[in-house]
Amino acid sequence: MAQLDIRGLVARYNDTTVLDGIDLAIDRGEIVSLIGPSGSGKSTLLRVISGLLRPVKGTVSLAGETIDYGDRRSLRRARNRLAIVFQQYNLFGNMNVLRNVMVTPVTIKKRDRREVEAEARTLLEKVGLGDKLNAYPDELSGGQQQRVAIARALCLKPEILLLDEVTSALDPERVGEVLDTIKLLAAEHMTLLIVSHEMAFVRDVSHRVAFMAEGTIQELGTPEQIFDAPRIARTRTFVSRILGHRTAA
Amino acid sequence: MHYVLHYGQITPYIPYLLGGVLISLALSILSFAGGMVLGLVFAILRNEGGAAASRFVRGYVAFFTNTPQLVQIYVIYFGLPDFGILFTPFMAVLIGMTLNAAGYLTEILRAGLASVHAQELDAAETLNMSRLQTLRHVILPHLFRVTMPALTNQYILMMLGTSMAAIFGVEELTGRAFNINSTTFRSIEVFTTVAAIYVVVTFLATILLALFSRWAFRARVPVI
Ligand SMILES: Nc1ncnc2c1ncn2[C@@H]1O[C@H](COP(=O)(O)OP(=O)(O)O)[C@@H](O)[C@H]1O
Ligand SMILES: [Mg+2]
Repeated sequence: MAQLDIRGLVARYNDTTVLDGIDLAIDRGEIVSLIGPSGSGKSTLLRVISGLLRPVKGTVSLAGETIDYGDRRSLRRARNRLAIVFQQYNLFGNMNVLRNVMVTPVTIKKRDRREVEAEARTLLEKVGLGDKLNAYPDELSGGQQQRVAIARALCLKPEILLLDEVTSALDPERVGEVLDTIKLLAAEHMTLLIVSHEMAFVRDVSHRVAFMAEGTIQELGTPEQIFDAPRIARTRTFVSRILGHRTAA
Repeated sequence: MHYVLHYGQITPYIPYLLGGVLISLALSILSFAGGMVLGLVFAILRNEGGAAASRFVRGYVAFFTNTPQLVQIYVIYFGLPDFGILFTPFMAVLIGMTLNAAGYLTEILRAGLASVHAQELDAAETLNMSRLQTLRHVILPHLFRVTMPALTNQYILMMLGTSMAAIFGVEELTGRAFNINSTTFRSIEVFTTVAAIYVVVTFLATILLALFSRWAFRARVPVI
């Protein structure tokens, strides 16, 4: 059974159909990346999965349990099982690093503070920020903030982690440290759904890559298929344009 | 004309004047607190309360920020009794200042609310925070942090504005100055002393508020 199973998903903003029938199944421990031009609906897909936008059609299931987005308890349960990190401003500006990581487990989930703190410290150590526990987000670089956001997501012990262009707001020299953190998760067989424009990284880390355009998945395959032998012209154009830019840069 | 300054005649009244300061502080603190509660509710209503609520708040703000405060208090103190609603001078001034403050504070707080990052709110939602928890843990701390300089300013203006209460017979600092003046006729001494007291009080209030907001909200306000 798939860890995350998306079927026939349709979503609209007002009258514009932004997701037009998405089918995607991700297995436990699998890493799937979404690539595609800006505006193709990648962020919207992650927003729908995490319940920030109600789908108008289709279903999302977590390990066989279909999420009822209209039901608060079902949504709450789903959100306990998945976590999402956005492009920027994930962190609460009024809380220091440690509190950002601990606030949900302690304040919302009412877990034991000492236990959570020990886990939070371990996680922050792991993402290389063991010395920044008392820093506030505006005292950190963008890359450090994103690593805290990832640590915060992990502290919830999600079954699946959604990452939406987590490096695209960063200075180029900061991208590597965040990608390294994600690779760490990949090595631990975390289930990941990643939206990224870092093609070398996508190719390196993903088990499968989905190419999206105009609200649908146009092509889904192994990184080798998508990058070296795409079946449709549109994928080929997109990939060559993006890779061309990277080599030129 | 030869006027000799006699501050010595005022010194016995200093404790009496300081008692007036307490009333001025009570008026300004209570009306500021009331104005904050109303202003916060109005700011939230204005931003996400639907068309009717938003129109009401806009009307409210336009009315209270475009008419003199003194006239507003006149209406409450002299106008409402015609409808059988009577207030003591202190209450009339307190209510007038609160309603007036609500108008200005709504605008300050609304700007602060608009500066919360949408992604912080999305994060709170996906972390399963309820709307109330989001307000308490994310929105309000941010709001106070960014609006603290403007709020401090507003409070100082209100503290100075309490002198209007003297017109209605409230014996706050200015009211007590009137009283002393009418028995000693030492106008210059009385009112320069009172002015000095206002300076000291607002100066101390500014420092205290700056220290408090640095400590409580990490607001970046210079202390002096
Ligand atoms: N809040 C919104 N309101 C209206 N339209 C939106 C909103 N967010 C995104 N869209 C539209 O939805 C489409 C898909 O956007 P998005 O999912 O952000 O694409 P991507 O992440 O692939 O760049 C775009 O056409 C975008 O303009
Ligand atoms: Mg996007």
